[in-house]
Amino acid sequence: MMNEETFINNVKQQYMDPEDVSFEMASEFRQVDSYDSLTGMTIMVMIKDEYGVDISEEQYRSKKTIQELYDFVASIK
Amino acid sequence: MMEAYINGISYYLPEKELTNKELSDMYPEWSVDKISQKTGIYSRHIADKEEFVSDMAIAALNKLISEFEIDKQTIDYLILCTQSPDFSLPTTACIIQDKVGLPKTCGALDINLGCSGYIYGLGLAKGLILTEQAKNVVFITSETYSKLLHPKDKSNRTIFGDGASATLITSNPNPKYFAASIKKFKYGTDGSGFDKLIVKNSGQNFEDALNEDVYDEEGNFVSNDDFLYMNGREIFNFTAFEVPKLVEDTLNENALTMSDISRVIFHQANAYMLDFIRKRCNIDKDIFFVSMDDVGNTVSSTIPIAFRRLIDENKLKKGNKILLSGFGVGLSMGGVVLETA
Repeated sequence: MMNEETFINNVKQQYMDPEDVSFEMASEFRQVDSYDSLTGMTIMVMIKDEYGVDISEEQYRSKKTIQELYDFVASIK
Repeated sequence: MMEAYINGISYYLPEKELTNKELSDMYPEWSVDKISQKTGIYSRHIADKEEFVSDMAIAALNKLISEFEIDKQTIDYLILCTQSPDFSLPTTACIIQDKVGLPKTCGALDINLGCSGYIYGLGLAKGLILTEQAKNVVFITSETYSKLLHPKDKSNRTIFGDGASATLITSNPNPKYFAASIKKFKYGTDGSGFDKLIVKNSGQNFEDALNEDVYDEEGNFVSNDDFLYMNGREIFNFTAFEVPKLVEDTLNENALTMSDISRVIFHQANAYMLDFIRKRCNIDKDIFFVSMDDVGNTVSSTIPIAFRRLIDENKLKKGNKILLSGFGVGLSMGGVVLETA
């Protein structure tokens, strides 16, 4: 069972300013000022690194909240 | 035992500068400042309409000859690394030989590589020296990616800059100038990623290519096969997973660990990605050299330009080990260790 808090933190760490970012599972992770395509790339790399899951650009783009990302990763893992 | 030494690096940047302010004016909806903060690029140099790879190469080479007091007649091999040559036929290096006045006994050839090009060129130069095919190799990198970019391609116009470098590789270094012996190499290639950074209509193979503009749902320019296309995500992925392995392999090949390395210079693609890769390779920020804010990504010239700037700091000492690594278009990569003489 994937730990939700750890997952949230893993996503948070990919932002330029993780101390200023506050997330819950329902948070829309793109709605952060510092978020851009580079942040997206590092999140996708993190998912592969930490969870061994390959997420395609299309799949990633379809996820809006951390919950949706989490559910996707959990379903593959 | 004979060694091959880098004994001089010079570089040339075109006069015209494209600043972030100008980019902002050209693309008002594009948050240039936000992007620049992340990519670490504030300005870049752009070749003139009538300024070509050979022109920039000649300028860099003439600078090298003058700055390092090289007798032109002793240069016996010229390698040019470029992906935007004056002509795909004939060899642009031949044009340079003639215009600079290098001896007619000099060998000359072009190599077609981008971000990994500097590593490969050093490898070839070392091979020529150690097999006694040449004593003084001049290796030039020269690129005009700006000429390959679509006018609406704001993201690539923000990243790429034009420039050229010239490096002297010799078996007999001039002790008056900085010298570093070239140690061992590691290379890598993944051609399955050939279309991740490509100009589809640049060669003979263009049957399936479109030459109309393709946009995304938000109206951002994506591609046109007559121009350069880069899949940033795939390149990023490639570097994220392959470069740390290559770095480790390069260190192993040289019987070293990261703690033996005094300085690291990676291909300067963009500052954000560089820092990301640095952490993945467990490299200390103190030894990781970055210098690109005023030149952008000059493709195969990023490493030599950064290296020259590092040398100019005058902090390198005899015996220092320097790790260089280039990676990108191809997909191609390489790494090498140098040792300050």
